[in-house]
Amino acid sequence: MDILNALVALANFVIVPGLAYGAQLAIGALGVTLIYGILRFSNFAHGDTMAFGTAMTIIATNLLLAVGITFGPLPTALLALPFGIGLTILLVLFIDWLVYKFYRDQKAKPVILVIVSMGVMFVMNGVVRFIIGVNDIRFADGERFIITARDFKTMTGLNEGLAIKTTQAITVVVAVVVVAILFWFLNKTRTGKSMRAFSDNEDLALLSGINPDWVVKVTWMIVAALATTAGVLYGLDKSFKAFTYFQLLLPIFASAIVGGLGNPIGAIAGGFVIAFSEVTITYAWKKVLVYLMPESLEPDGLVQLLSTDYKFAVSFAILIIVLLFKPTGLFKGQSV
Amino acid sequence: MSDNPYQNDRGNKDRSITNKGGSTIQEVDRRFGNSKAKQGDPFLIGDAMTGGYGKGPDILHSCTIAAEKGEIAVIVGPNGAGKSTAMKAVFGMLNVNEGAVRLDGEDITHLTPQQRVVKGMGFVPQTSNIFTSMTVEENLEMGAFIRRDDFRDTMTQIYDLFPILKDKRNQAAGELSGGQRQQVAVGRALMTQPKVLMLDEPTAGVSPIVMDELFDRIIEVARTGIPILMVEQNARQALEIADKAYVLVQGRNAHTGTGKELLADPEVRRSFLGG
Repeated sequence: MDILNALVALANFVIVPGLAYGAQLAIGALGVTLIYGILRFSNFAHGDTMAFGTAMTIIATNLLLAVGITFGPLPTALLALPFGIGLTILLVLFIDWLVYKFYRDQKAKPVILVIVSMGVMFVMNGVVRFIIGVNDIRFADGERFIITARDFKTMTGLNEGLAIKTTQAITVVVAVVVVAILFWFLNKTRTGKSMRAFSDNEDLALLSGINPDWVVKVTWMIVAALATTAGVLYGLDKSFKAFTYFQLLLPIFASAIVGGLGNPIGAIAGGFVIAFSEVTITYAWKKVLVYLMPESLEPDGLVQLLSTDYKFAVSFAILIIVLLFKPTGLFKGQSV
Repeated sequence: MSDNPYQNDRGNKDRSITNKGGSTIQEVDRRFGNSKAKQGDPFLIGDAMTGGYGKGPDILHSCTIAAEKGEIAVIVGPNGAGKSTAMKAVFGMLNVNEGAVRLDGEDITHLTPQQRVVKGMGFVPQTSNIFTSMTVEENLEMGAFIRRDDFRDTMTQIYDLFPILKDKRNQAAGELSGGQRQQVAVGRALMTQPKVLMLDEPTAGVSPIVMDELFDRIIEVARTGIPILMVEQNARQALEIADKAYVLVQGRNAHTGTGKELLADPEVRRSFLGG
């Protein structure tokens, strides 16, 4: 019984939140890794693209709610998601045409594009705050829980409860669907294969008659869709705040680099590695240990390695360790 | 080239923020050329080409290279003679300031390399000539990217020509051996059903046995009627299979003739073939 209680506590506080957060990071990191692979630079504006997409989705959600449309037990934001994605696609294509295209035509070195993306980041930062404000916004509606801790306790008779939020389940399901579609697209369709070819060997792709402008456009569209989806899922699960999304850039980049930049499978694996590291290191293990250890050995403190305030330090430390000892990431990426 | 400030990356080697690679195909001045085909013109001819990379000095000086239908034409010469440069000039990858390139009587001097592929030229670069992360079959599919029709027949023909590729068709091309990679590269170029095939040192870096096999395959491709223009380091072997051979020295035509003639030429023997 003690072991079961320990497992349930672990699932409730580590596994379920870790899975949801990992899925959100994975979708975010996929966007970063696609830009890195195909446009060949690290897009620092990615966090703010997520924020913009989420802001647009929130506005669309409010409009839907205003006319009385809801999605039943599911969050209305899922209905509004396509609008958010559409507007974000328009924005990134506009930014690409206005800013990045100029540098591509100059055949600018990627490091210049990195700096350019920082400029774009600051501008988008301002635009998002201007549109939606700087406050914390909760926009999840519908059923809050699939199963609450109390129901679980009465069902199983255990001391520990397992709560699964609707948003956590939605996050995992949506992530699986998104990843499946993305991999199908990259591996089976003509355009997807041409994107991989372009990422692999740009000269040869050009000599094979692959149209670089089209490849770049499709990449931006996919990235906008991924960023918006990741942003909305994160916002539903926690809350939306422009500054938080800007901060998400660090764990997302850490995920992409841990997995191996440019490698989509790596981005997903990296997302879960970072998420679980953050959650396990900032979790107070006392609750689980109490069930597992004999009474005499029970810990006095919380057994929390780091306070949750330091969660970004975890991604940062992992990032540095990976760059020092395995710069190409877990799956062979392109960094040196 | 280097006077463009956007192309200065300040010694950045941090691959965690930028991805190396990217296009190295340079912008080329395409104002030149407008020549009329002459009677008895070869199928593909780079006629009296003078030119070089970017704003740099001319590397080629009135250099003429041609390939006739059903023939293998070979460019040989010492290191730095401009062999690869001559081939790139024919393919439109550098400035041709004088002279012209004609394919089947049509002046194509002003076309970009991509447009020349559409016109029916297949080009196999010397290095990074395959998509290493993609499977053999995907490499061939990408070769046929400009084709909208059904290309399965062509793929079957290529698998017949290079049986080893059929066995490895679902393997990543980067995992293959040097000789197999070259077969993938040639196969990729053949997927467009080109009217002329250009090979830049196809046997560079492969073992002598594999080299013999590659030469056999190249002869087989030529027998299907596709003219082949080839740059080769191994002058002796290349001259043996060549119907037409060009010896370049410092960007100029030094000797021209059939492969056998040049093999027998005492001066060619002395200077390039080691006696």
